[in-house]
Amino acid sequence: MDTNKNMLTEPIVDMQNVCIRYGEDPEILSNIKLSLDKGSFHFLTGKSGAGKTSLLSMMYLALMPSRGTVSVFGSNIGYASRHTMAMLRRKIGVVFQDFRLLEHLSAYDNVAVPLRIRGMGENEIKKRVKELLSWVELDKSMDKICSTLSGGEKQRVAIARAVINRPEILLADEPTGNVDNDIASKLMKLFVELNKLGTTVVIATHSKDLIAEYNYPQIHLENKTLKIIPALRRVS
Amino acid sequence: MKRKFFLKNHSELPLKEDKSTFFLEISVGVSVFLFSIALAAYFLISLMICSWNKSIVHGLSVQIMPSQEVLTPEEELLYTGKVIQFFEGLENVEKVRLIKDAQIKKLMSPWLGQNVDISSLPLPKLLEVRLKSGKNFDYEKTARLLKETAPYASIDNHGIWLQKLVKSASSLKMMSIFILLVVLVAAAVSIMFAVQTSLKIHQNIIEILHIMGATDDYVAKQYGKRVFVVSFFSSIIGSLFALLSLLVVAKISSNLDAGLISSAKLALPHWLFLMSLPLWTGFFAMATALVSVKRSLGKMM
Ligand SMILES: Nc1ncnc2c1ncn2[C@@H]1O[C@H](COP(=O)(O)OP(=O)(O)OP(=O)(O)O)[C@@H](O)[C@H]1O
Ligand SMILES: [Mg+2]
Repeated sequence: MDTNKNMLTEPIVDMQNVCIRYGEDPEILSNIKLSLDKGSFHFLTGKSGAGKTSLLSMMYLALMPSRGTVSVFGSNIGYASRHTMAMLRRKIGVVFQDFRLLEHLSAYDNVAVPLRIRGMGENEIKKRVKELLSWVELDKSMDKICSTLSGGEKQRVAIARAVINRPEILLADEPTGNVDNDIASKLMKLFVELNKLGTTVVIATHSKDLIAEYNYPQIHLENKTLKIIPALRRVS
Repeated sequence: MKRKFFLKNHSELPLKEDKSTFFLEISVGVSVFLFSIALAAYFLISLMICSWNKSIVHGLSVQIMPSQEVLTPEEELLYTGKVIQFFEGLENVEKVRLIKDAQIKKLMSPWLGQNVDISSLPLPKLLEVRLKSGKNFDYEKTARLLKETAPYASIDNHGIWLQKLVKSASSLKMMSIFILLVVLVAAAVSIMFAVQTSLKIHQNIIEILHIMGATDDYVAKQYGKRVFVVSFFSSIIGSLFALLSLLVVAKISSNLDAGLISSAKLALPHWLFLMSLPLWTGFFAMATALVSVKRSLGKMM
């Protein structure tokens, strides 16, 4: 009974007394405590250099805490095997601040990567990728090599790649920084839709407008510490 | 249609553009060339040793020459006994038999006629020594020791000569094995080097793949496939050159037929194995690459 209750309320991301530092540099974040519930939506805010990207990379399991414990989907990542880590990462979609696309591949192939990694058949991949790319208004640029795409186009490819597999956690680092307002609000709608379907979302952003408009709680980083700023009003 | 074909064999790592591919092609091609030649040498030497060993009989004959100083029959008997004792004392000897005078007489009769008293003639005494195994018998050492014990006795020298030949051929055989190993190690090292270089170049892409949930196997497979293809095709070239050289050598040596030495010839299975080397090379290179890639990935994010 007790375990049952735990499973229902268990946070999808849990950090206890986590510190982050790079090499011998001073700590960027100290004694962080953070629990994200399944299906929650947070903005991640803080000045440039506050550690937003670092915090996110810990959540997508690319960075180990220098101290403390991080659990994702209930697995303590300090003890997870390489294979377990790979399987956990498959449930996480990431939009990188600098996109990190495979520049030598086409937009289509970039978006197909997460599906191919899972061994999905090419026909199914084709259907899904084409559908999503036309939704983000990239059907014309589908076969273009990524290095020839514009910043905004790359950003949309990056987002398409992050959501193609309907991840359980979506971590997006400044996902609307390079696109015009129309596309930005369309992409935000996509994130909101995914969230309604159960995806836990964290979006790092500097945009006050975005935060004001959507009014989700904020994970705010300042002076190496983290505080949650609750949503001002309920999302209608 | 075309696109579908390419999609089937997608690979996120642009390994085809790798500069280290050229290095891999050259080193694998040269390795396979050297390996084929050394392997052919190994086959030939083994064949020769085998045929020589067959002709070393599992026994030897010893003759005791009649001496210049006239020995009394008793003395002669004593002398023969000493030689028999000598051979019976050797480890590898199964049985020593003195060939009876009557038998020698019989052997000699066609030349000497029936009515000759053998004991009055200076005929050699013959011993037949049966060995447990002809291979492990040291003819040379035995001959030397025998000379010290009984200077009038001698071993027929055919076996000695063959065994000397087998000994030197065996050291050649060891050398060819050594060369095979060296080539194998050198090839493995250069494959690892090429793969490691490539991993460094593509570290960023590999990291992205890992973040998307790719296992080490997924990444390693792309290397395995690529290394197999590159090694297979470059070893076909290396192998062709080696086979051509071997054919030329075979042609020349059959022209200079030198009896015993050229009696060894590669048979069909040998040629087939030599021709299948590119395939083995492909698998060997692939396995080496997989191991090397996986070890390095284990240290990455
Ligand atoms: N790989 C790294 N090695 C060393 N220091 C790093 C590394 N990555 C980040 N840092 C440092 O950590 C601090 C936090 O960086 P981070 O990228 O997390 O900030 P951020 O909040 O995402 O900033 P921005 O809003 O500009 O993207 C910075 O001082 C940065 O210099
Ligand atoms: Mg950042």
